[in-house]
Amino acid sequence: MMTAIERLKIRLAVSIGWSAAPGQVSEVIRGFQATEADGVWHLYRGMSQIADPRERAIIFGHCLEEEAHADAFVRAYQHYGGRVFTPTHFERKSLYAGDEPIWKTFAFVHVGEVDATQRFRLLSEALPAGALKECLSNVVSDEEGHVDLTHDMLKRMGATESAIRTEVRWVRLRRLWERWLRVGKRVIDNLANVLLSIVYYGFGLFLHGAARRRLARGFVDYDNNSMKRL
Amino acid sequence: MKVLGVSYGYHDASACLVVDGRVIAAAAEERFTRQKHDSNFPTYAVEYCLKEAGLSPGDLDQAVFHEDPHAKFSRVLCSSMAAFPDSRREFVESMKAWLGRKLWAVNAISARLDLPPDKITYLGHHFSHAVQAFMGSGFDASAILIVDAVGDWACSALYQGKWVDGKPRVERLLEVGFPNSLGLVYSAVTAYLGFSPNDSECSTMALAAFGKPRFAEKMRAILAETEDGLYQVDQGYFNFTRFFRGPVTDRFLEAFGPARSYKDDLPFDCFGTPAGSISADAQRLADVAASAQLVLEERVLGLCRKLHRLSPSANLCFAGGVSLNCVSNYRVLTESPFQNLYIPPDPGDGGTSVGTALYYSAAEAGGSPGGHAYSPYVGVQLDESDAAALVDFLKPDHFLPYLKRGVDPALGSKWRWKTFADRRELCAAVADRLIRGQIVGCLQGRSELGPRALGNRSILIRPDDTKLAKRLSAGVKERAALRPYAFSVTEKDAPATLDIDPSRIRANRWMQYAVPIVEAARPKLAAALHIDGTSRPQVCYAEDNPAYHELLTAFGERFGLSALLNTSFNPSGYPLVTTPVEAMVMFARTDMDALMLNNTVIWKDVE
Repeated sequence: MMTAIERLKIRLAVSIGWSAAPGQVSEVIRGFQATEADGVWHLYRGMSQIADPRERAIIFGHCLEEEAHADAFVRAYQHYGGRVFTPTHFERKSLYAGDEPIWKTFAFVHVGEVDATQRFRLLSEALPAGALKECLSNVVSDEEGHVDLTHDMLKRMGATESAIRTEVRWVRLRRLWERWLRVGKRVIDNLANVLLSIVYYGFGLFLHGAARRRLARGFVDYDNNSMKRL
Repeated sequence: MKVLGVSYGYHDASACLVVDGRVIAAAAEERFTRQKHDSNFPTYAVEYCLKEAGLSPGDLDQAVFHEDPHAKFSRVLCSSMAAFPDSRREFVESMKAWLGRKLWAVNAISARLDLPPDKITYLGHHFSHAVQAFMGSGFDASAILIVDAVGDWACSALYQGKWVDGKPRVERLLEVGFPNSLGLVYSAVTAYLGFSPNDSECSTMALAAFGKPRFAEKMRAILAETEDGLYQVDQGYFNFTRFFRGPVTDRFLEAFGPARSYKDDLPFDCFGTPAGSISADAQRLADVAASAQLVLEERVLGLCRKLHRLSPSANLCFAGGVSLNCVSNYRVLTESPFQNLYIPPDPGDGGTSVGTALYYSAAEAGGSPGGHAYSPYVGVQLDESDAAALVDFLKPDHFLPYLKRGVDPALGSKWRWKTFADRRELCAAVADRLIRGQIVGCLQGRSELGPRALGNRSILIRPDDTKLAKRLSAGVKERAALRPYAFSVTEKDAPATLDIDPSRIRANRWMQYAVPIVEAARPKLAAALHIDGTSRPQVCYAEDNPAYHELLTAFGERFGLSALLNTSFNPSGYPLVTTPVEAMVMFARTDMDALMLNNTVIWKDVE
């Protein structure tokens, strides 16, 4: 059911949204690049807490692949984008506090891999032939491998099947909550756009003259050179 | 006294811990988050600084922020209102960012560090730059020049600093306010040339060397020198208050021709561009870059002259984003009325956390002119202990599908490693590799503060081999051929390579000047030269970085000159690497031959 809804959403976005606003394609690719780069960062952090060199070697290969994916998305962006690629700067946050067992981080990574694989696959199917479709096809085949790899890793780290299932459910809930927050943020964002536009036109008419005069003065005439406190 | 400096909010967030007037640790947030120029709250940089000293936030006596959010908000509000009614989008987006987050930056520091508000001090942006420039200089008294994009209201600022009764006193003489900004003009030209503004200004500077400043008169009219020795920017050419419309206006395009798309080829090569390969349009763009560069230098020198009239000191401290322009810096060093010039290791926003923390400490607890000098090696200490064990379990064959584009897949199927007990043996082994024409990554000791790799997070090759440098550009750095490399040289061999007054050699410790290279030394430094015969040297003194100095010396014994081409150890689009694993991932995906991690060398077995 979820897959069908997701598929419909993606098809609508590609066929209607992206054709109406081609710039959106590059923004979506920019988001994919950010997702992959963020994944690498979490893997680096997870890896720093693992002592077994065998496990570290597996994660190392994983890091390398995800970084290559991030690069592939940069190239795809450059194919579609009208501007030079600049990465997004969102605030990095550790998934868990330091005292949580490390396998929980990899449970999160595992769920991320499952979701990314599904989204990339659906998008790849919906897209016409082109640079992005080709890029996604390559990424999907790797990501499918990562899904199994992260699941196996969880088991090797000592997590039982039931603990994994519980944690995966918890991660899914957490991701759902974050998704809900993002939707909420978008709603607030749109409301703010309307309100601030009203403020702009309401006050701008009276304030723009003073603002222009202030900018035209050129010199900074107040003393902003002391140590201050709130 | 324990003081934490914090800068964040626009770009290059960073943190610095000062204990009893000495810098204990400082680092940019980007080194931990792998996001170049990361502007977010420096969570991980703060964590690192405190951990380095074994402190918790509660142990801090004070946190100092590098900006006055209220002053900056008033400027943002004013500039978006000034363009009414064409700036609705700018107003809405700015207000969302400011009312939602940026205006409360000081409160955010209080909440994140769990510090009461009375333990948080903030300084105006240019005042922060001024104390950043002065505190590490070691000067008793000095004139201070700040040239930046924009801070609170100011774009350029003239100060003077001196020590009075064991405390620093930094006084403002004059500030040039927004939108008269040399930094913003240079960034706008950078965007016009198809490079990424706030990041690739170095490409504009590099391109300038291929051009002739035939648009200089037009550029001088736009960036006009005023009668009082300052300057004024003709706003008709730029969209500083309507930035969603692009950096330059149609008037600029009429004056200088169409802008370049980043996809358009710029076939300039710092090792010599093949004759006939440059189109008239590409040459025009290089000429625009040359004109912008020339006029920027003239205006910076004009500010120096004005400052010297107001504060006739022999010493000058220089900071702000424009002081990263090494071509302009060289002219300030050699042509300004000042005898001594100090530019801090990280003169941009990332370094303000250091300067403000030092200043607060000295202003409250006292200090001395020479007591607060710091080197750039204040970042994360490299721990390679897990790296070698990891190598034995890696399967390099599996990496082949993930190599960077253009990298020769003829890699060995095995990586080897060796840890050296004796430092001299290590240097000899690495120097032998370098002499054989290998590309060697070099990670050792504490990482550098600021954008320059100074031997601790560097990629090294022999400096005479232009073919090898091209391999480095294509297979490791993904770097445009128009951008030159820099080199490191020991203080002993510096006089034989740098065509500069010997008294000024010491100023070149942190790769901050584009210096002409002695004609006789050019063949040995061919791979590190720009098309105009200059390079950006790092003169390495043993007291600054003994480990790197030893490697340079070992190489010099084989090569006849203790110099190495030195470029930053970072994948394209990412900041300098911090950990061995990050370095090894880059090593795996690129055409690097060997990797030195403190006393361990890893290499690709090509048998």
